[in-house]
Amino acid sequence: MQSSILIITLALMALVAGVFLFVVMSKNSAGTAAKHNKIRYQLISLLVIAGVIISVVSLRYGSHALASSDAVVINVVGGQWWWEIDRETVPLNKEVEFRITSEDVNHGMGIYNSDFQLIGQAQGMPGYTNKLVMVFDKPGTYQVLCLEFCGVAHHDMINEFEVVAAE
Amino acid sequence: MKYEPQAGAVKLTMLLSGTVFLLMMIFGLVLRASQGNFIELDPAIFYQILTAHGAGMVGSAALSGGAIMWYFVGKYTKLNPVIYWLFLGLFLAGVVLILGSVFIGEYGGAWTFLFPLPAISGGAWGVEAAVIFCLGYVLIGVGFLLYYLEMGYRIGKKYNGFSGALGWRYIVNGDLEKAPPPTVIAAASVIIFNSTGIIFGAIVLVASIVNLLLPEFAVDALLAKNAIYFFGHVFVNATIYMAVTAVYEIIPEYTGKPWKTSRLFAIGWALVVVFVQLVYFHHVLQDLVMPAWMLALGQIMSYASGIPLIGITTFSLCVYIKGSGMKWDLTSKLLVLSVAGWTIGSIPAVIDGMIAVNKVMHNTLWVPGHFHTYLLLGEVAMAFGFSVWLVRGKAKKTANNLLERLTFNIYALGGFGFILVFLWSGASSIPRRWAVHLEEWHFHSQIGTVFAVGVVLATAVLVMIYTAGLVRRETKK
Repeated sequence: MQSSILIITLALMALVAGVFLFVVMSKNSAGTAAKHNKIRYQLISLLVIAGVIISVVSLRYGSHALASSDAVVINVVGGQWWWEIDRETVPLNKEVEFRITSEDVNHGMGIYNSDFQLIGQAQGMPGYTNKLVMVFDKPGTYQVLCLEFCGVAHHDMINEFEVVAAE
Repeated sequence: MKYEPQAGAVKLTMLLSGTVFLLMMIFGLVLRASQGNFIELDPAIFYQILTAHGAGMVGSAALSGGAIMWYFVGKYTKLNPVIYWLFLGLFLAGVVLILGSVFIGEYGGAWTFLFPLPAISGGAWGVEAAVIFCLGYVLIGVGFLLYYLEMGYRIGKKYNGFSGALGWRYIVNGDLEKAPPPTVIAAASVIIFNSTGIIFGAIVLVASIVNLLLPEFAVDALLAKNAIYFFGHVFVNATIYMAVTAVYEIIPEYTGKPWKTSRLFAIGWALVVVFVQLVYFHHVLQDLVMPAWMLALGQIMSYASGIPLIGITTFSLCVYIKGSGMKWDLTSKLLVLSVAGWTIGSIPAVIDGMIAVNKVMHNTLWVPGHFHTYLLLGEVAMAFGFSVWLVRGKAKKTANNLLERLTFNIYALGGFGFILVFLWSGASSIPRRWAVHLEEWHFHSQIGTVFAVGVVLATAVLVMIYTAGLVRRETKK
């Protein structure tokens, strides 16, 4: 997923950079005020229409999921500088609800797959429990890294769990 | 002779902010070199430098943006110089407290002072250091509020009330010839949203200080987080919205076409006032206890914020410069780069503001990737473009054009290389704010370090060009 995001981002950044280079190198003037206004309104309209479509689709399919009643619940507590996860194994292809909180400061539970790609995250906050719903479709060892700066040993805050086929 | 409102104070400010930019970039270079395993830093020292780098960069951006806006608003209405010196004095006093808390008190809780980290350091720093750090921010905030009160009062008086200065009455009808200039509309808009942001910041800072001194005084962590990110987001955005007045005022000198207030311009800035205050929810997209509608609003506002930027400021700049035959010198190059950097930087920011993307990009190096684009290649470029313009009258005669060309090219290429490495690293899931990187991440940071060296060298030359111009100008006087 991240590769696609990177490619789309770089393409859009290159497009804007290209427009600037074109404008800077252009010898011809930009034309009449009426022409500018027409192009400007078209551009703004395009941005608004694209924004509505992107927002509706991405919010419909990309928002945080809620757990169903038969989800496996896993409790996670973060503290300076450790993760306590109440299960060492997580079932494959089953809905899992991580209930994440913190004993002291803010932490960020980042879940990395065996290729060390970030596949999901949620904050661990004192006084609150965030519920992160995920389904793991590949067995293996998953790492939990802290993604919210939490003090001098923030980078040492790593734990792991195994995703295994359900018996 | 060019009208120069309070030029001495502004020139001093630009010298201070330029020098601090350079120093903070050196700090940033040290951080990247450490992550790339080129040098070894104790994690406690790393996080202290990280804290100083963040606070120093945001502070310098705010200081330079404030100086630029004061200078140009001063063209349209007289401002009280005492207030400016008070603002600068409070700012410097705040900086002294912040630097003292970091390098003497060993405070390393990051510039965001995310509650309750300042109070729970795990033994890395004391309560006193955290209190002093927060007090430093409070002083800077008080200085800015005084500055905004003075400016708001003066432009309100000049433009028939503060709403007149905002230009909102020209949105539907009204004689545009009587409308305030773009700089005044920008100033009035910034005064509204950044004053609100600073007030929220002050509330959470005072609450944090009380909590530090009286731990039984509890603060809700989620409420504090919302207040901090509201303040932080608005404050950082305000730095660019203040500095963009340099583009509105200086670019017309090159193109010969005045930057005029239009109805669309007034609408755009009215939207900015609203959007800037609603967009901060995109910082809490992984706080799943937040109401779902707030997270959706964060995503939508994140996208919407880009529309006034692209549709108004960026589009207008392109129209003004296309085929204008304008002269390309260091000032004009830096100012055009700054709008390009701001616009280009908004793309990875908006993409990260989508909940679906944020799940796998939040708090990775993608985040410094996008904010360095619109700060390093945006606000900082605006600040140096303005600085060079301030002294160009006398400096122009002796300027080394080859040196200036080389400096600009290295700054721009080094800057783009630097931010692209961050984005690549973010897409590779490398976390931000990690003092010690895994071996497989070293290569990313090493390339980033090389680009950072280029940026630091170019910035050092920019500071030298400005200082030389300043000295030459003052000597001649």
